[in-house]
Amino acid sequence: MADTPSSDLVVETFKLTKLYRNRLIALNDVTLRLEPGCVLGLLGANGAGKTTLLRLLTGLHRPTAGWAKVFGKKMGPNSADLRRRIGYIPTNPQFPRGMTPITYLDYMARLFGLPADVRKPRLASLIRAVDLLGASGHVIDGFSNGMTARLAVAASLINEPDLLIWDEPTHGLDPEARRSMLDLIKELAREKTLIVSSHNLSDIDEVCNHAAVLSHGQLIYCGSLQDLKGRMRRNHFEMDLEGDQKAVAKATTAIRALPDFKVVNLRQRRLELYLHEEVVNTSALAGVFSILTDNKVSLVSVRSVGQQTEQAFLDLVEKEESRGFARIYQDEAA
Amino acid sequence: MKERGKVMEVAADKKPVSINRWLPYWAVFQYDVGQTLRSWVYLTWVLAVLLATTGYLLYRAGLTQEGGFVQQASQLFSHLLQGTVLVSIAFVVVLAAGCISSERGTLADSVLSRGISRYQYFLGKWHARLATVLGTYFVLSLVAMGGSLIFVHEDVTVDGSLVALATMGALLAAVVTAGVAVSAVSNNTLLAVAGLWVALYGGGFVLNLKWLRSSVTTSPAQVLERLPNILCGFYDLQALASLAGWSAAVSLTAAIVGMICFSRRDV
Repeated sequence: MADTPSSDLVVETFKLTKLYRNRLIALNDVTLRLEPGCVLGLLGANGAGKTTLLRLLTGLHRPTAGWAKVFGKKMGPNSADLRRRIGYIPTNPQFPRGMTPITYLDYMARLFGLPADVRKPRLASLIRAVDLLGASGHVIDGFSNGMTARLAVAASLINEPDLLIWDEPTHGLDPEARRSMLDLIKELAREKTLIVSSHNLSDIDEVCNHAAVLSHGQLIYCGSLQDLKGRMRRNHFEMDLEGDQKAVAKATTAIRALPDFKVVNLRQRRLELYLHEEVVNTSALAGVFSILTDNKVSLVSVRSVGQQTEQAFLDLVEKEESRGFARIYQDEAA
Repeated sequence: MKERGKVMEVAADKKPVSINRWLPYWAVFQYDVGQTLRSWVYLTWVLAVLLATTGYLLYRAGLTQEGGFVQQASQLFSHLLQGTVLVSIAFVVVLAAGCISSERGTLADSVLSRGISRYQYFLGKWHARLATVLGTYFVLSLVAMGGSLIFVHEDVTVDGSLVALATMGALLAAVVTAGVAVSAVSNNTLLAVAGLWVALYGGGFVLNLKWLRSSVTTSPAQVLERLPNILCGFYDLQALASLAGWSAAVSLTAAIVGMICFSRRDV
């Protein structure tokens, strides 16, 4: 994400830092660049600085140091022109009291400066599209989580934005609504740039092609999701075996004798293998396959254990924490 | 979202749109006027002033009819104006000082994350509260004036009444602006309201102190005392213009400070 000229980038931050009243360091020295068409998944634990970063990118907060540029221009509280090209969904969106979806979307469209002949048809289409037609005249205050999420989606699309910033869009949704939201993100990703923050790593894994990992306000990784997964230590495998129980037990004993494995467990016919850190997994597994063949045990399935993105994320955070005082210096890999 | 294709069709229907840059300001202005007119503080204010005015007028009318006292409309109207202003200030402070701080929850999520600048939002809010408060105040005052003229002996002049209303209006405008500015800076509505009450009533008390009264030629309290004369057409236009000028200067300063502080804060 680093070769595009600055003017063509959708989002660019440089040493972005946010301190709240000199009491809390919410974001520390974050530098990232986002190209058009990227779907960036923002990962991090609670309090890692995800929402602060998104609020800085929308001009709701002002940076203590550094800057954030959106579409090549510095973002600030008065950057209304830039925000006209952004669709934002906050975590647990709140709505003004007493409004209906129609009055709310009309108000939002007017806040974007859309004239009546544009905003009226657009809001009607969006209400229909997000399946709120039956509730379009009802007051929002009594809406369920799913309905408010759909309304928030409609509000974020009313200005036909080029950049979508969605802060935990699947938060509090039931499985069906969550699935719909993820499918929608995938479709929107075909023509828009998206930044999606989520606690749910499988969501990020499914819809994003890039990832940024924040830990204690610091950006510890920013790059493609593939690269992030590539950094994962692949040292935990599970194999489902088929064959005579005695043969399986004999093979397991032989595998335990191999020096490459830290832990070898057999539960029923499932073999669990933990490799030592420094071992090359292909050669170690070749040894296992050889033993299985010698003992006439066949293989039903083999898999690398652990949700890949989740494992990669946890590995990154663990690695960052283990650097101790060396964290003063940016890790080049980030 | 069962029909996701439709969302995509709506999202993809991209044609160049001419943006009305002042529409966000008008949207905030109109929304705020509507919201204020429906608020319980506003309704209580109007009801309280109307009931007090009607009661006072009926009491005075009774005195004239039963006791045969001759009463001047200027006296009666000035009493009503003074009462209206003093009661109104309490409500106006609540209306103005809560206008931005009470919306903290939805402000960022629904408004400021859209295509509106902080300046436009502040101006929309400020002008909406000014229009609502001053409009209501003038309507209530005209009702009181009409009642005074119907029930008692007429001695007020048109120009005197207009000058009196304009002077009171200028003072109220300063209170509204100070309230909106405090609201833009504060996170806590209760604290903003309490602080402004203390500042206004405390300021009024200080300006009314004997040693200060001699050095200040035209304080708000003195104008209230001189209302009967002003209504009859006996007024010092220069002194009143100076008071109105001070009110305008205070309003403008408060608005600029409030707007700058609001545009620099996190929401």
